[in-house]
Amino acid sequence: MKLRSNVKIVLFTLVFVLFSIMSVQAVTLEVMDSVIVESPEREALLQIIENFEEENPDITIDYQGVPMNDAYAQIPTLATSGALPDVYLATLDFIGTFEDMGIATDLRDVFSQEYLDGFNQNSLSELTVDGKVLAHPFFVIPMGVLYRIDWFEEKGLTPPETWEEFLDIANELTEDTNGDGSVDRWGFAMLASRDGSGGSRFIQIFRTFGGYELRLNDEGEYVTDVNTPQGRNAFEFFTELNTEHEVVPPGPMEVSYGEALNLMVTNKTAMMVTGPHSIGGIIERNPELDGKIGAFPLPMAQDGGKHISVLNTYGHAINPDSDKKEEAAKFLKFLVNDESALLWNEMTGRMPTRTGLLQSPEVQDRPDLAGFVEAMDYAEPLPTVSYYSTIMTDILPSAYQSIIVGQATVEEAAERAEERIISLIEEN
Amino acid sequence: MLKKMKINNILSLIILIFASFMVLFPVAWMLSTSLKTMQEMFVTPPRWIPQEITFRAFARIWTDYPFVRFFYNSILIVSTTTIVSLFFSSLAGYGASRFNFKGKSSFLVFLLVTQMFPSVMLLIPFYRVLNILGLINTHLGLIIVYMAFTTPLCSWMMYGYFESIPKELDDAASIDGCSKFRTYWQIVLPLSLPGLAATGIYAFIMSWNEYLFALVLTTDDSMKTVPVGIGSLVGQYRTAWNDLMAVSLVASIPMLIAFFFLSKKLIGGLTGGAVKQ
Amino acid sequence: MKSLFSLKTEHKYGYIFILPVAAVLGILIIYPLLYGFYISFFQTNLINRWNFVELENYINIFSGNSEFVNSIFVSIKFTSVVVLSHLVLGLLLAVILNKKNLPFKELFRSILMIPWFFPEVVVALLWRWIFNSMYGVFNYLLMNLNIIEDKITWLSSMRGAFFVVVFTAVWKGYPLILVMILAGLQSIPEELYEVAKIDGANSFQTFFYITLPNLRSVLLVSLILDTVWWFKNFPIVWLMTRGGPVNATNVVSIDIYQTAFQSFNFGKASASAVIVFFICLGIAMIYKSMITEEEM
Repeated sequence: MKLRSNVKIVLFTLVFVLFSIMSVQAVTLEVMDSVIVESPEREALLQIIENFEEENPDITIDYQGVPMNDAYAQIPTLATSGALPDVYLATLDFIGTFEDMGIATDLRDVFSQEYLDGFNQNSLSELTVDGKVLAHPFFVIPMGVLYRIDWFEEKGLTPPETWEEFLDIANELTEDTNGDGSVDRWGFAMLASRDGSGGSRFIQIFRTFGGYELRLNDEGEYVTDVNTPQGRNAFEFFTELNTEHEVVPPGPMEVSYGEALNLMVTNKTAMMVTGPHSIGGIIERNPELDGKIGAFPLPMAQDGGKHISVLNTYGHAINPDSDKKEEAAKFLKFLVNDESALLWNEMTGRMPTRTGLLQSPEVQDRPDLAGFVEAMDYAEPLPTVSYYSTIMTDILPSAYQSIIVGQATVEEAAERAEERIISLIEEN
Repeated sequence: MLKKMKINNILSLIILIFASFMVLFPVAWMLSTSLKTMQEMFVTPPRWIPQEITFRAFARIWTDYPFVRFFYNSILIVSTTTIVSLFFSSLAGYGASRFNFKGKSSFLVFLLVTQMFPSVMLLIPFYRVLNILGLINTHLGLIIVYMAFTTPLCSWMMYGYFESIPKELDDAASIDGCSKFRTYWQIVLPLSLPGLAATGIYAFIMSWNEYLFALVLTTDDSMKTVPVGIGSLVGQYRTAWNDLMAVSLVASIPMLIAFFFLSKKLIGGLTGGAVKQ
Repeated sequence: MKSLFSLKTEHKYGYIFILPVAAVLGILIIYPLLYGFYISFFQTNLINRWNFVELENYINIFSGNSEFVNSIFVSIKFTSVVVLSHLVLGLLLAVILNKKNLPFKELFRSILMIPWFFPEVVVALLWRWIFNSMYGVFNYLLMNLNIIEDKITWLSSMRGAFFVVVFTAVWKGYPLILVMILAGLQSIPEELYEVAKIDGANSFQTFFYITLPNLRSVLLVSLILDTVWWFKNFPIVWLMTRGGPVNATNVVSIDIYQTAFQSFNFGKASASAVIVFFICLGIAMIYKSMITEEEM
């Protein structure tokens, strides 16, 4: 008898719980991305989510974080088991693969064309494959050069236009500040690591010399300029910053993004190629630098070169198998609405993707962002092919590293890189 | 003769001291880094004893990161793995040591062969299996995966240890009317405690330190383990060396303590174990 | 005496006892292995593209532009130095620690085991921090001892980086070999040494004619495992150098990882993994024949 009443109680509770769940009809939207594991991005995002849930009490956001470097293994693993969440991060590295695997909804079916036209078109094109819009741009981090305003003023320097001027400045700022006989401050925090953080920065420097690591030619085929005079010049200039001019700290191949940031934080270097998101990170760890950091667009090569900025668009894809596409669309729209995007921009420095906001005074008038706003005028999208990340994280880094360690000459390295890129193009 | 002995001993001691120095200086550096402030970490030349000693990193790992939860996960997963895989592999070791059956030698060879496939390629199949069983983001899922790593060698070690225990004991027990399972459980197992301890330590260390699978097979923050948590301190955007060193020290302490008490047993356990095949 | 009459029940009990382990391994090792073999014959993204390409992946990984062959050589070089160092260190320290009447023996034994307890993630990051070109304490240590004059950029030269990852792998891995050998030494009967002493053998003779032969089976198992583990090791090298500079430390696991998870070419990655599997199997067989031959 006793047992039975227990069973009744359990059953009753179950039914009650079920009913209460159904009566609220809350939908849980699973979102996975990498910015949630960073700071201060986490705080900003949590605040936006809170606002969203307040406005939409019927939707709950279940946020999962994955560090960017680990996302490469995690997303395909989830995909092959059909276990992807409703919404997940999408960047240029992934987008070709997403299309290939069929794991991103074509957003033209979800959003109106008018809405999509409201995005900065360069950022949208970095998430578009064969005309299909596969991800919803969340923010861009246009690349430029961060510099120490105070040191520039001390020496009476102004931001450079060309790489030659850049080198002069770097030389001037590289010195022994405490007089112990060894250099303790360098002009430039060079990232020459064998990963995406080194490779993606190099690609932009490369492009300012006038060549393209990968571009469509007139016949609509992909070709590479790594082994052209412009390409070789880029390799030569970049590597000689270390080997010839010694304006960068020793051991640049150990310097990945985190290390480079440390160099800026600890007053070891004066300049660094990066985006506006770095400013917050630097000041958070060394508050004395508040107001002392500015930015200018990447210099260019004297003949045949041009200013360039890569946007590094970061967006979200919607799982084609998700039955919550509508809620997902609602959430993504909320992420980039005026209020959220301004909050996001203010807290993290990452730039909005809606054209209207990019021109707003809140963004345009921030002195520390001015250089990046200018850089956005020079933005060019990167190609969205599935093998692009191999070029960025492996082929180009191998090339510049082999020159720096003296294993290959500029010509040999450029030739080898060209061979590898061509064989990648052919394989696909 | 006596003099020769002494010289020999002194030479040995010198080698031991040098080796211990090589082991301890990185650990000391770890401790030193964990006590430094952000600014002092990057001072050149580096200081062994920080000017400003702060224990904040040790506090931060509990307040700023969910390491309480990570430790809970790790302890739960690893201790369960250790116990269950000890039980399973002692069964297998006993079976292989006491009974003759078809395919026995293949089974023993197979245990070694399992170690030879690159683990990065096991990620996707593992994920699929766990997904089918509905065990992604569960403690049980990781426990099963870790058992797949630990049981082959644990079985091998236990097999070796059982081989060193005279089989006459079993025969005597079976004359007394003990069933096979009771013989194993009540007679042979209690005699194998050193072997179990050695095997257990091995399983514990192996699963406590595992990184790659825990990383990929858990997507939920609340299910991550200590090594994954440590790995996440080396984010793309920052490397907080002091916090990293602090949590690494804390993560190693349980094993250091365990080893200090068990080191004699461990070596004794191996004496009968892996050694005598 | 094994009785012939109870053969059947013996079989049965054997199977019952190994069943749990066999089941776990069946699901979690055999299936992944077969799966790996299977997809190595496909050009696939594992979802909607499954093109059967026969042996093309295998042909590709040995073609001119493939990093695979080079990475196999790097792995072989890396593994042989690491395992040899483990063996030498392990033998040396174990013989010393096995001595009688050596003061503080137990303390030393405990200290020398410490590297075993640190997760590979920690070990890799710790040494990367110590060998850091700018802030690394190792350079200053050598400078204070007047061994070097100027800082060395360890991880930024091909030889330096290779040295550093080998050093780290040796540091992390020797304790396991040490314990195994120590256990092996303690199982050698004392009488053997006494007999040798009476026969007037010196300590080298004792070592080569008594100690080593008696360690044969320990050495076999430890060497096989140590070799295959380090041949496939991923975290240490990945976290320290990502395989760089250039390809100086591009061991085969990194090549496979990048092929699978950065180029998303799973078929090719699996083909590489299958080759590695057979290489490991080959290594194990070579050891076995080498060590059993000596037994004759």
